Amino acid sequence: MERYTDNELVKIKRENKSSWILTTPFLIWITIFFLIPYLIVIFYSILTPGVYDIKFVFSLESWRSAFTQSYMDSMAHSFIMSALTTIITILIGFPVAYVIAKAPKKRQNLYLILIIIPFWTNFIIRIFSWKIFLSSQGILNNLLIHFGFINEPLTLLRTNFAVLLVMVYVYLPYMILPIYSVLDKFNYRLLEASMDLGANEIKSFFKVTLPLSMEGIFAGSILVFIPALGTYIIPQLVGHQSSAFIGQLITFKVKSIPRNWPLASALSFILLILVAIILLTGYNYHKSRSRSNL
Amino acid sequence: MTNYPSKLKRFFDGYNMVVFTLIILFLYIPILILIIYSFNDAKIIAGWKGFTFKYYRLLWENQNLKNAFWNSMTVATISTIVSTGLGLLTALGLENKYFKAQKFFQGIIFLPLVMPDILMGVSIAMLFSFLRFPMGKWSVIIAHITFCVSYTIIIIQSRLKGFDNSLQEAAMDLGANRSQFFWKVKFPIILPGILAAGLLAFTLSLDDFIITFFSTGRGFNTLPVYVESAIRRGSVTTINALSTIMIMLTLFITFISKPIRKFIF
Repeated sequence: MERYTDNELVKIKRENKSSWILTTPFLIWITIFFLIPYLIVIFYSILTPGVYDIKFVFSLESWRSAFTQSYMDSMAHSFIMSALTTIITILIGFPVAYVIAKAPKKRQNLYLILIIIPFWTNFIIRIFSWKIFLSSQGILNNLLIHFGFINEPLTLLRTNFAVLLVMVYVYLPYMILPIYSVLDKFNYRLLEASMDLGANEIKSFFKVTLPLSMEGIFAGSILVFIPALGTYIIPQLVGHQSSAFIGQLITFKVKSIPRNWPLASALSFILLILVAIILLTGYNYHKSRSRSNL
Repeated sequence: MTNYPSKLKRFFDGYNMVVFTLIILFLYIPILILIIYSFNDAKIIAGWKGFTFKYYRLLWENQNLKNAFWNSMTVATISTIVSTGLGLLTALGLENKYFKAQKFFQGIIFLPLVMPDILMGVSIAMLFSFLRFPMGKWSVIIAHITFCVSYTIIIIQSRLKGFDNSLQEAAMDLGANRSQFFWKVKFPIILPGILAAGLLAFTLSLDDFIITFFSTGRGFNTLPVYVESAIRRGSVTTINALSTIMIMLTLFITFISKPIRKFIF
């Protein structure tokens, strides 16, 4: 325990009071508009669907239907596609982050700007553009036919391939930036040391560079996986109806008639639990790592 | 050992550079397509049919789209101001290292950042329905403030971290009181951070589709919501032109905003 003089204690007390005053508006805002809404989601999940929103009659029907095959399939589909997206973004994001981190400082800034600018264009518009690119009369098919690779246009749009491609496109920067920020602080002398000790480049990459950049890969994976799990617009625009993501089903149940808000709530709550599990795992991992680094 | 860089290393560097170049191209494909197609004289998405400006004219004549644009601007402006204000107060409050609730607040700030948009959208839609709050402009603004505020806090906090506290003693020694110190010394120094936070909030608000989709009611469209419904209806011809203008606008903002460039990059 630290000991403070009376004067310091008075000062600390005054500062704590002003801290509470300054942070209270945010606390109230986030409680009303962020925390309480999840309680309402839980509450709505045990009610009966009404024509427009909800009837205040108790029922567990929504939970029964949430665990039926079709919704569980959709949940699994979202999970697998998000996992694939995460893996692909790691595989191609890592070399990109590596190149940026190893470039001279001035060039690093240019590269980062190059990565971020497309990010600043409205993302629906960017997805729409992929739709143009992939459609049967689109640029890619025309090019492939023109150069004689294929005779008939390929069906690219409304496939899982298209969804995966666009997901990787949309979420890639979220993987590159955290890995970059770790590699940027990386001490390259460690590599020299490992090579002096007789390891070749491949061995030192797997024994030195990769373990030390795990933190960035992990942060990036969370930033990619979680939003990917809840995505609605990407599968909606370029995916096939038969393989809907859970985000699409939730949106249909909230927005399109016949509405089923209790079911949407139950599904949202399941998704929330999944997200919480992933975050807690990530948090524990982070804690155990920062302890072992000490 | 004088043969560095070895063949293997050169191979890896070459491979990395190829991946890097391809990825940069990959990131820019959609943007180039939109710009090129905005001048394409074809009714549907098809091959090149000749150069035209007509979609830009049609765009100008589209009243619904103009309304959506102004709605987006209003929502983004109001939610930027409120979320940056809230963010500034919170970040200032959390500067105090003796504050016991520090950890609790860091957790609360972190949650909205990692929550999937769809869950924020669904939950806030249910809140508004529960409260019988009319869905429209104000519900959208409230939702936008909610998802922007964590970002503004974090950006302003990172600016405050670099603040030299001995300046306070210096200012006090020179006879400044607390409010003079804040407005004449501290505020100007952290202003770039506040502007960066505001700009980020503005772009997040302009970009959002899903949370707006859930928190809006009949008749109130923001630009992304309008674009999505236009794509759904299949009236896509003007969207390329609109996108091109928006891309140009983004580039313009990116290059004129020095504080953002200094701060984020």
